[in-house]
Amino acid sequence: MKEQLLELLEEIRPDVDFENEKQLITDGVLDSFDIVSMVTAMNDEFDIEIEVGNLVPDNFNSIEGMMALIEKLQDED
Amino acid sequence: MELNVLRLLEKTADRFNNKTAYSDSDESLSFSEVTECAKRIGSALAEKIPARCPVAVMSGRRVHTPVVFLGIVYAGCFYAPMDSTQPKARLMDILSVLQPKILIADEEGMKTARELGFEGEILSAEELAGHEIDQPALDERARYACADDPLYVIFTSGSTGKPKGVITSMMSLMCYISAYLEVMKIDDSDVLGNQSPLDYIAAVRDIYVPIFTGASMFIIPKQCFMMPAELFRVMNERKITAVGWSVSVFTIAVKLKAFEGEKPEYLKKVCFSGSVMPCSALRVWQKELPECRFVNQYGPTECTASCTYHEVDGVVEEGDTLPIGRPYRNYRVFLLDDDNKPVKTGEQGEICVSGPILALGYYNNKELTDSSFIQHPLNGAYNELIYKTGDYGVFDESGVLWFKGRKDRQIKHLGHRVELSEIENAALRLESIRECCAMYLKEKELIYLFYTGTATVKEAAVHFRGILPGFMVPRKLIQLEELPRLANGKTDMRTLADMMK
Repeated sequence: MKEQLLELLEEIRPDVDFENEKQLITDGVLDSFDIVSMVTAMNDEFDIEIEVGNLVPDNFNSIEGMMALIEKLQDED
Repeated sequence: MELNVLRLLEKTADRFNNKTAYSDSDESLSFSEVTECAKRIGSALAEKIPARCPVAVMSGRRVHTPVVFLGIVYAGCFYAPMDSTQPKARLMDILSVLQPKILIADEEGMKTARELGFEGEILSAEELAGHEIDQPALDERARYACADDPLYVIFTSGSTGKPKGVITSMMSLMCYISAYLEVMKIDDSDVLGNQSPLDYIAAVRDIYVPIFTGASMFIIPKQCFMMPAELFRVMNERKITAVGWSVSVFTIAVKLKAFEGEKPEYLKKVCFSGSVMPCSALRVWQKELPECRFVNQYGPTECTASCTYHEVDGVVEEGDTLPIGRPYRNYRVFLLDDDNKPVKTGEQGEICVSGPILALGYYNNKELTDSSFIQHPLNGAYNELIYKTGDYGVFDESGVLWFKGRKDRQIKHLGHRVELSEIENAALRLESIRECCAMYLKEKELIYLFYTGTATVKEAAVHFRGILPGFMVPRKLIQLEELPRLANGKTDMRTLADMMK
């Protein structure tokens, strides 16, 4: 899943080091437009439905946070 | 009408003294604190520079930043806000146009300013605020201030690749804020929620409306705009009643299904501007907030942030188009055809503006100023400058103006003005890009760059992040063997447009 997610993220922001960056939201690396693209792509790719309540910094600050979110939402199905 | 914003600030401070003027997540400043602190900064500056000098400001989205602006105005000078998170190359371009003797910075900005190798004096905002108030010096500056003195310089995208500094006078600002208040009916019971970066034109409302009305203004943290549940929670916590935001905030909130959580329950007055509002998104906001008034605003920085407004009447339907409406008070708005002749009702022409709200021009750029601000071609009787916006419009029978697109390659992207040629010029600064063409896919709000050369997509993206502000960086980089050509050798943009679909 990590490879799949990294590929998707790099498509959206080729200049960001998603493997090592741990404060993507808090440090302002990403902007709101990136979040819209990421949410849309993650929903499609992993067959999940990210809701407004899931949009908190912890879930998007790092690749680990995003993976945890995807796993949680897949388990809920 | 009061013509001086500082006299207005003092009157408001007398009336509302301990009421909050500006607040952010960490701090808040009352009207009397703002006035006192601005006077201190003004007194310190008056010792260093004569009136009517530019002062660069590199300070973040914090309550102290507008106070620094006002301090500069107390010294009879004008401010040029700079976002220190922008790429260094762009900041240096701005400084090379502005050539300020003084740059005022917060802690973060200090580091950046030093790294830029700025040759003038770098002053700490905090230290300036510790200076004694020198009332005679401030009185002297006030006595010789004129209503048309420059108030600020705001930089926007320029087609040659160098940012343009639009100079606005105090009188223009006073006209605009008065007219805006007449439409929005904001008073001292309101709490404004600021979204715009403070170096951007939309922030003038958030900075000056409190001074006019006694309303408070809260600087909403940037990350809230990525996390809409957090945005609405903060708005409720701060009881935000009035906002002037860029259209992209409203559309992004809808895309992220913001209304599935709590709603911004205190919000009553909404102005949106920056680009065309899709009615599908507006409809969602109207249905969720039936008590709220929505106003569409249109206008460029060169006309003090605006020209026209339209109050939305009733819930819109998905396929509707909103008009840009009628001129604000003190704005003369009319259409001219390509031969500078008047245009009949119902026919398309270029939107032109004149009046006391016209910018003083582009700083240190006489050539561009003279070609952009011209004598009214239909007025041979006296001096009347007009600004041709480069936008097309149509007046209907009831005198309402409708927007009909751009004349050139300037686009509105996420609320910002972007010259596609500036992106191309930036791309060509990378040696491994040979040729390129920037295009805009409006439906998806995506900037594309088609290019030839050996640069990888990643190299190109990293290069752009180093020299352009984030909103200008192309989201789709497409490497081609050759750019498609028309018979005359020009780039075939139609073929490229098809490749974006």
